[in-house]
Amino acid sequence: MQTTPLLRRLQAIATPTDEEREVLASLSGATRQLRPNEDIARVGEQPSVVCLMLEGIACRYKISADGKRQIMSFHLPGDMPDLNTLFVHTMDHNFGALVPTTVITVPHDKMRGILVRYPRIAHLLWRETLIDAAVYREWIVMRDRPAYARVAHLFCELFLRMQVIGLSKDLSCPLPLTQLQMGDALGLSDVHVNRTLQELRAEQLIRLEGGTLTILDWEGLNYAGEFDSLYLHLKRAA
Amino acid sequence: MTLRLEPVLVDTGSDDEEGLLVFSNDRLVAVLVRLSDQHDSSAGSWFIESSFGIRDGHRTFPDLTAAQEWISAALLGARR
Repeated sequence: MQTTPLLRRLQAIATPTDEEREVLASLSGATRQLRPNEDIARVGEQPSVVCLMLEGIACRYKISADGKRQIMSFHLPGDMPDLNTLFVHTMDHNFGALVPTTVITVPHDKMRGILVRYPRIAHLLWRETLIDAAVYREWIVMRDRPAYARVAHLFCELFLRMQVIGLSKDLSCPLPLTQLQMGDALGLSDVHVNRTLQELRAEQLIRLEGGTLTILDWEGLNYAGEFDSLYLHLKRAA
Repeated sequence: MTLRLEPVLVDTGSDDEEGLLVFSNDRLVAVLVRLSDQHDSSAGSWFIESSFGIRDGHRTFPDLTAAQEWISAALLGARR
């Protein structure tokens, strides 16, 4: 079912009722396929739909005056990263795909109707956006740490988020991001990301091959990244 | 603008250790490091490991000429 990642995501942070699950499962809209680096919404636009991610990885980002891209968050299947446009109409950041990505676009009116009819779903999605804000807070602190800790932290977070939506297998998950994309999120050059990956590999903490991340030592990677999953507010952890 | 280069070993915590101190008017303005084989297709390129008075310095250049041109231009820009 198309909406499975969304249900998994929400069930990881709350307990929706059968009726709420049914309503969420029946969310539908036009399907949109995006190429890597294709934007979904840009600064200044006023979208009339919200995107539910089905496949791929997207990000929120801004471009500085000297052309540098800062990625502020990564988004995975099940996320609705532009849900805020329901209430804050003008995009103050860009939202785009990083790898081949599929979304469905749900018209604002339809989404508003659901929130009015099912207040508990509104609460659920509110909770989701609050956790989104918690991730921002964590990243502010994380980006102040050495390169080694930043990369390790990112891997711990992405692995847990992939696990929640059923995309992990044992301690492996897809991670098709380039070093440049990781660097733009972590405030590091691709050279520093590459050096750090070599370091994490040499210490037998991870393997990263063919777009798949395998964590060889979960505790060790948590320690390296000073990672505590509390801010993700998951009901269960790895 | 003439830059003066001086070889140096840099402890980057990686295999990239062959470096050059870059001076302009006898002031240290950047440290360049030659990328080692661990960088695959970028191996042999020059990376601005650190810079002083230049914004957004962490860039990679295919050769030393390109690196020096960019640093000179960045220094001129910074003084404007």
